[in-house]
Amino acid sequence: MDILELVNFYIIPGIVLGSIYALGAVGITLVFAILRYAHLAHGDLATLGAFVALACVTALGISPLLALPMAIVATAAVAVGIDKVFYEHLRNRPKIVTVMASLGVALMIRSVIQVVWGVDTQTYSRGIVRPEDYFGLRIRDREFYTVFAMLLLVGGLQLFLTRTKWGKAMRAMSDNPNLALLSGIDNKKVVMLTWLVAGGLCAAAGYFLGLNTELKSLMGWSMLLPMFAAAILGGVGRVEGAVLGGLVVGIAEELSVLWIPSEYKAAMAFVILLFMLLVRPTGLLKGKVL
Amino acid sequence: MSALLSMENLTGGYGDADVLEDVSLHVDPDEIVVIVGPNGAGKSTAMKSVFGLLTIRGGRMLFDGEDITTWAPNRIVQRGICYVPQVDNIFREMSIHENLEMGGFLKKGDLSAAYDRVYTLFPDLKERRKTPAGRLSGGQRQMVAMGRALMLDPKLLLLDEPTAGLSPKYMEQIFEICRDVRDTGVAILLVEQHAKQALAFADRGYVLAAGRNRHEGSGADLLADREVAEMFLGG
Repeated sequence: MDILELVNFYIIPGIVLGSIYALGAVGITLVFAILRYAHLAHGDLATLGAFVALACVTALGISPLLALPMAIVATAAVAVGIDKVFYEHLRNRPKIVTVMASLGVALMIRSVIQVVWGVDTQTYSRGIVRPEDYFGLRIRDREFYTVFAMLLLVGGLQLFLTRTKWGKAMRAMSDNPNLALLSGIDNKKVVMLTWLVAGGLCAAAGYFLGLNTELKSLMGWSMLLPMFAAAILGGVGRVEGAVLGGLVVGIAEELSVLWIPSEYKAAMAFVILLFMLLVRPTGLLKGKVL
Repeated sequence: MSALLSMENLTGGYGDADVLEDVSLHVDPDEIVVIVGPNGAGKSTAMKSVFGLLTIRGGRMLFDGEDITTWAPNRIVQRGICYVPQVDNIFREMSIHENLEMGGFLKKGDLSAAYDRVYTLFPDLKERRKTPAGRLSGGQRQMVAMGRALMLDPKLLLLDEPTAGLSPKYMEQIFEICRDVRDTGVAILLVEQHAKQALAFADRGYVLAAGRNRHEGSGADLLADREVAEMFLGG
């Protein structure tokens, strides 16, 4: 196999898949760092985002790309709502209670999706898209959009976190929650912002997974493990680490089929997760140890 | 002159256990007051009680003529008391400048005057303003912590063992800075483990033992007191 073939069939799909994981992992890492629990409904929230976009496409007849912002806004709002209705009451209880509650929320979201949209697979647009040829590199438009949108969204988030007062407040809350309170930072607002960001990114992850493959009610759930692996690989609390982690997990999954049967592709994320927890639990870019 | 802060017959603690019993103390404007005492005497607890961080069962606390006994911490911050905890008192991952910015979070409008004031007190910090605070030495971290607390122009600064774990050189420097801060019109209440040095530099002191007031007086008087000397100062 020549190098071009390797890039076209494994590396490019790996980067695309990795970008999707990255979008989810950034939200997971923020929730982990600021709220200090693992949010198990993250995958199903991504599924919801994907189906909301589908609803916009079918009901309004708009192009799938225009449906993305709508899905982001709607899912961000749902994420804030879920926090208010379920997680907020558990804030002073042991964190494991919230983790379990998020598992319940995951099942609830999935059931709602199955009731509304059914259990069959669906797509944003029918037909086969042929990749364009760029000097031997074969890339589909949607693959460009995926990587580009990920870089744009995460870049925007980084600017928000490092340049704005409320972005810095989010970092302060992740860094030292007690001191943040002593400084008079309103933790309720920070929590709300965290959910807006995490929910919005989740919708983008689900949407691009749907755009590059197909929509089904279990699509997000099956993405949960790779997203967590990416977040931990990158270092909990590190946004750029989550992106790096996402790309590594995505590429590793695609490359793994060279040596192992493709049914075991998903096990790669698990292997990476275990390996990191054993060897370097702070992640590639030094994150928190929880 | 009426006291800036006065704690009147305060009884309270964490959960159900009382750590403080009938403690009274006061801080006047423009003075440095130190609380000393053996380990477990309730020194830090007395300080946290000002900040509404424990359950108070008796007595009351007045600040600038207002009863603040039951206020939430963020309201107390806004009223003009800032607190520097003993440990975890900086945002490690954030730069010095960002630490100060978070200290001034509640302030509306321009922060530049507040930055100037803090950087004038701590010129070392200005040079390294982009450095993550977690990379600084112990003494400089303490400066960041104090600087963060000074961003809101408090009337009273609470310092919980600011010299813990610092070398004698840095201890002197921190005391020096405390005097400078006082001279800008901020009263300071601090808890100290290094009783001798602290009493020598403070305007007044309280000796706390087993959750109660034992002695009160000017630093020099307490240092000269035989009983105090025997209790904590090693004769």
